[in-house]
Amino acid sequence: MRRVFAQMRKELTQIERDRLALVLALVLPLLLMMLLGNAVSLTVTGLPIVVQDLDDTLASRDFIDAFRASLTFHIVSWPPSRQPVDAFLTNTARAALVIPEHFGRDMARGRNTEVQLLIDATDANTAKLVQGYADQVVSNYRPAPAPVKADIRLWFNPGRDSKKFYGPGVFVMGISMFPALLAALAMSKEGEQKTILQVYVSSISAHEFLLGKIFAFALIAMAEWFLSLILLFTYFGLHFAGDPSVFIVSTILYAFCVAAFGSLVGAAIPSQAASIQAIQLGGFLLIFLLSGLIFPVQNIPASLRWISGILWGRYYIEIVRDALLQGGGWLAMWFNVFMIALIGAVFYGLGWKKLRRMQLSI
Amino acid sequence: MTRIGTLIKKEFGQIRRDKRLLISLIIPPTIQLLLFGFALNATVDHLRMGVVDFDHTIQSRDLIAAMTESRAFRLANTYFSADQIGQALARSELEAGMVIPYNFGRDMERGRQPDVQILLNAVNANTAAIAQGYAARLLQNWIQVYSQQGGVHAQYRPIAANDVSRQGHVLMHPAFLFNPGLVTSWFIVTGSFGVLLILNGSMIASAALVKEREAGTVEQLLMTPAGTGEIIVAKIAPLFLLLCVMSLFATALIKVVFGVPFRGSFVLVLAGAMLCVLSGIGIGTFIATFTKSAQQAQLLAFFVNPPLASLSGALTPVEAMPQWMQPLTALNPIRHFGIITRSVLLKGSGFSAVWPHMLALAAFTSVLLTLSVMRFRKQLG
Repeated sequence: MRRVFAQMRKELTQIERDRLALVLALVLPLLLMMLLGNAVSLTVTGLPIVVQDLDDTLASRDFIDAFRASLTFHIVSWPPSRQPVDAFLTNTARAALVIPEHFGRDMARGRNTEVQLLIDATDANTAKLVQGYADQVVSNYRPAPAPVKADIRLWFNPGRDSKKFYGPGVFVMGISMFPALLAALAMSKEGEQKTILQVYVSSISAHEFLLGKIFAFALIAMAEWFLSLILLFTYFGLHFAGDPSVFIVSTILYAFCVAAFGSLVGAAIPSQAASIQAIQLGGFLLIFLLSGLIFPVQNIPASLRWISGILWGRYYIEIVRDALLQGGGWLAMWFNVFMIALIGAVFYGLGWKKLRRMQLSI
Repeated sequence: MTRIGTLIKKEFGQIRRDKRLLISLIIPPTIQLLLFGFALNATVDHLRMGVVDFDHTIQSRDLIAAMTESRAFRLANTYFSADQIGQALARSELEAGMVIPYNFGRDMERGRQPDVQILLNAVNANTAAIAQGYAARLLQNWIQVYSQQGGVHAQYRPIAANDVSRQGHVLMHPAFLFNPGLVTSWFIVTGSFGVLLILNGSMIASAALVKEREAGTVEQLLMTPAGTGEIIVAKIAPLFLLLCVMSLFATALIKVVFGVPFRGSFVLVLAGAMLCVLSGIGIGTFIATFTKSAQQAQLLAFFVNPPLASLSGALTPVEAMPQWMQPLTALNPIRHFGIITRSVLLKGSGFSAVWPHMLALAAFTSVLLTLSVMRFRKQLG
């Protein structure tokens, strides 16, 4: 155990002397969170639409005002002589509202009037949102008496604030990327500069060496977690939704898992440039895209879903969102905690195997 | 010209012997394009809905059937109290819940307007917004079908209503243009195309330029009569050709595997792809002027690429970004290329619609390359 701590102290001293590494570990994740947590989202507001008002009466203008007043749409001017579809070809608008002639007359007569909404469906998700929002605007314009009233309640995030959903996701991305990167760089540097030979001739065992490295970078991950958590609580306006013990236990396991991943990459690839690429793939691309950060995991076809099943970040994202928004606690999340521990153990085992073999061969 | 020709020949010879580079140009982009196209999907369907039916009448069962037989929701479980649904939502066992009150059927027959409560898990704001739309429309449809059924029903109408104050209602007919089947992969694939071109272009270019410096052969090149500009152009030309081949390959994938319609001019997309490749190479060379080793170049790319890829509108809509950030995406080549591919392929826009974006890509490339040449000249001179 003493040797583990000595190894850990050596790593931390090395990082402390490396300015770039410190910035990487503690400042960049926060910057990334501020930047992406706010910007990466699927829920759109302020969508440009054009209106073609063929009626041009008081009633039609009143109807257009209902759209103008909504936060989701903003109306761009468009000459009535041009086809509204042209606005899609030049990317000026996402939707076009066409109000027919006699709109005002029919409304005054108490007849139902039809209007058309043309939606640019290049982006299918946004198209669906546009349809839903426009429906709401229209049905609130002159509500028809309905035999049943629907009370739709949005739970856990009633304002539909997407920052609260994506913030925790980007937080997980930062914590998966930077400690792993530092760990991989430190490990592959030993291989690249051949200082690993000094380790082999010393009396330290593969277990002690690896644990020392992992603990050092897990500690950095925890420091990063703490700083990011402050940001989540202040800037993103989140708070613990229930029992925080799951979150804390899983964070400790996750810090170990991430550091073990980095050390494994560094041990397997003794070139710093190549290990950066490996981390970029594992830490960024896969976690960013296949862990449910933006795109739900359930939508991935079953033949590819196993990739998400072995992605450590996916389980942690679910835990963080649960802890900060839903508050499902241990009952809901025990499996995720177990999977993080399992994946961390596998990384550790592989890293140990790699190092032990190298030690014997020399 | 012969000088540049010789240099280009030298670069080609180097690349030909570098099997790893050739493989890395074809295999990872193919896998990434396939993976993204198939796996990334924001469609909201088959949401698990839990139901509490306090009423147990024909009407309530009919409503449950109408809500859950669609593709939007599926019946996951029935519960005996609203609290149980709340707990199931918190445990993520459900995405939606519906509570039908006592006397629901009786109130309907009497024309009394009963309430139905629908609970949605709004942790994912996008899913919640779309699910809300689904629920409202399903209920509306059900009401329409229900009131047209045979038999005796009370028509619900406010007591004060009479023919004089009767008003017309607006019926909206949405039409989805360009992608009536709402295929998500068309959006993702056309977006990731640009991401791949920029990421691979920048990575390969910075690696190629740094390699010479790392190996110490840059002095030998400087001893030749070729100027800095010529050296850089010679370095870039073969990479450009290779990446163009890659983008042809990617276009074929987009067409064959994902069935994206090619409504506009193919040449226009190809021209855009070439400009996009050049901007990627420009980013790579610019990164290379700041770094001394492959490791540093990689590290720098590590910080440039994720924000560039995720703040481009390639995978998520630009309108979802904060207002102040949206104009800044004009500086992102991936954004311009994304607009070009989507407009031309899916909408069939012509040159007159996309030329500003072509111009932006060209400007981007020339600025970055000029800056790189200037910086190289200073460093090497």
